[in-house]
Amino acid sequence: MQPAVEIRDLVKEFRPAGRKQPLRAVDGVSLSIAPGEVYGLIGPNGSGKSTTMKALLGLVQPDAGSCRIFGNDSLAVDSRQQVGFLPENPYFYKHLSGAETLRFYGKLCGLRGAMLEARVKELLELVGLSAAGDRRLGGYSKGMLQRIGLAQALVQEPRLVILDEPTAGVDPIGSRQIRDLILDLKGRGITVFLCSHLLEQVQEVCDRVGIIFRGRMVKEGPLDELLALDDQSELILRDASPELLEKIRALVAADGRAELLRAGRPRTTLESLFLRETAERPEP
Amino acid sequence: MSRPAPNRPLDPRRIAVIVMHTFTQLARMKVFYFLGLFAVILLGSNLFNIQTFGRPDLEGIDVLRSIRSWSLGTMTLFSVVLAVVATALLLPKDVEDRTLYTILAKPVPRLDYLVGKLGGVLLLIFVSLLAMDLLMTGVLAIRTHLLVGEQLRTVAADWPADEREALRRAILDQGASWSLHGAALAVFLRAAVIASTAMLVSTFSTSTLFTTITGFLIYFIGNFQADARAMYLGGAGTGPLEKAAGLAVALVFPDFQLFNVIDAVIEGSTLPPAALGMLAGLSAFYVVLHLFVSWLVFAKKEF
Repeated sequence: MQPAVEIRDLVKEFRPAGRKQPLRAVDGVSLSIAPGEVYGLIGPNGSGKSTTMKALLGLVQPDAGSCRIFGNDSLAVDSRQQVGFLPENPYFYKHLSGAETLRFYGKLCGLRGAMLEARVKELLELVGLSAAGDRRLGGYSKGMLQRIGLAQALVQEPRLVILDEPTAGVDPIGSRQIRDLILDLKGRGITVFLCSHLLEQVQEVCDRVGIIFRGRMVKEGPLDELLALDDQSELILRDASPELLEKIRALVAADGRAELLRAGRPRTTLESLFLRETAERPEP
Repeated sequence: MSRPAPNRPLDPRRIAVIVMHTFTQLARMKVFYFLGLFAVILLGSNLFNIQTFGRPDLEGIDVLRSIRSWSLGTMTLFSVVLAVVATALLLPKDVEDRTLYTILAKPVPRLDYLVGKLGGVLLLIFVSLLAMDLLMTGVLAIRTHLLVGEQLRTVAADWPADEREALRRAILDQGASWSLHGAALAVFLRAAVIASTAMLVSTFSTSTLFTTITGFLIYFIGNFQADARAMYLGGAGTGPLEKAAGLAVALVFPDFQLFNVIDAVIEGSTLPPAALGMLAGLSAFYVVLHLFVSWLVFAKKEF
């Protein structure tokens, strides 16, 4: 099957002013994303995540290697017909309303008339901004801007969506909404390539991840495989009596080879607790 | 291999989308409301006798000449400031706000983006100058009508009919005319050349301030381009260093002395359509040249 994204031996160097030696931002990165997959690229600041994404979008030119989107060279304008992109901390045009913003980007992709209007309405509903569609973006909150940004990325129904820090600066509720939207895209079969600092969120939505450090891909593969501890097993029980737990402990002790490392109650995440106590709390 | 529909550069519909968006963006900026309002007040003030402030010698036809000069001067000031500042603002702002990323991540060739941005600025200048030209024409028509009546009633009350007719014609010649509209069009063409120059500078500059200052400097130096050309082409007496400097200025800067026809129209000269056509052709040459070089720089630019 033809990959949605194929990056081969990508190298990108910058020449900062006042520095003789070039700075290698991306050093031989290769990765491949299958259609319908959600891929997360993670790494510390300055590790080359954004440069890799920009190379994929043709915003920077590789010094070596190649980037292809559904088989098309990513430097060719035509390849972007298939791509939606949400940059980190996007501002958009404050003088436009949410609906006008989507109309503008839709027209750039060749949409017109009733088809464009229907798409604008559909996207505003998808990102939960139907009520705010006529308000100017100057009055939008950070989370609303991220959501309208995601809507503009989807305007031409792309097969690939590239998200650079989609939840940067967004509160946990907004962050959860964006996470749900990514899962919704996955459900529709859209390929998602995202980079994020929020590792927990990457873990929740991604099928595969790549860890990039100092411009090099240091680890890459399916999330389940990467996170699994080969020599450990997990058993989670509901309504287990103290007697049953004692029997299990005794069985483990009798085995002679296996060792019980930890027993206790599984914890929820702080994000889940926060959402349960705020957004999901029933009205009094 | 999947082959999406080709997105060829210079697509008129896509460029029109960017033109209209840029026009709206500039029109919704409050600073340009104030600039436009200021220009309209300056032009409208010609309905009153402001020309004679500090110049009590002005009377009769000279008042009309002063109105023409004042009006075209206001249009020049407005269009030059708008051409430099608005153009200098657009590209760096899109880069700073990362809106450029979202546009270039769509199937938009970089040439279309540049043409659209410049087109939006030019559309705004054109619409503004058109409104000012209409206002100037209206003010001049009123003042000419009043002046003809006043002069025929007072100065030429007992003149022979043919001399009265000659006076009336002389006054009407200083009123609204096709040459005056041609001069307003020349003001627009000059603004187009300045805007395309600012666009070129902004493709390699990252600062709005640098582009603005450089844009105004180019406009200033461009007014001496013809002199520099003459220095290069000059015969004996011109040193090699002077010739080289003259050649450099002549090659790099547009010739803004071409637009001195505007001053001639203010003084009462007519502007033949052929001369205006020649001016439009030369302006188009400069705009296309600047756009082409802008594209060469912008096409390879990394963000």
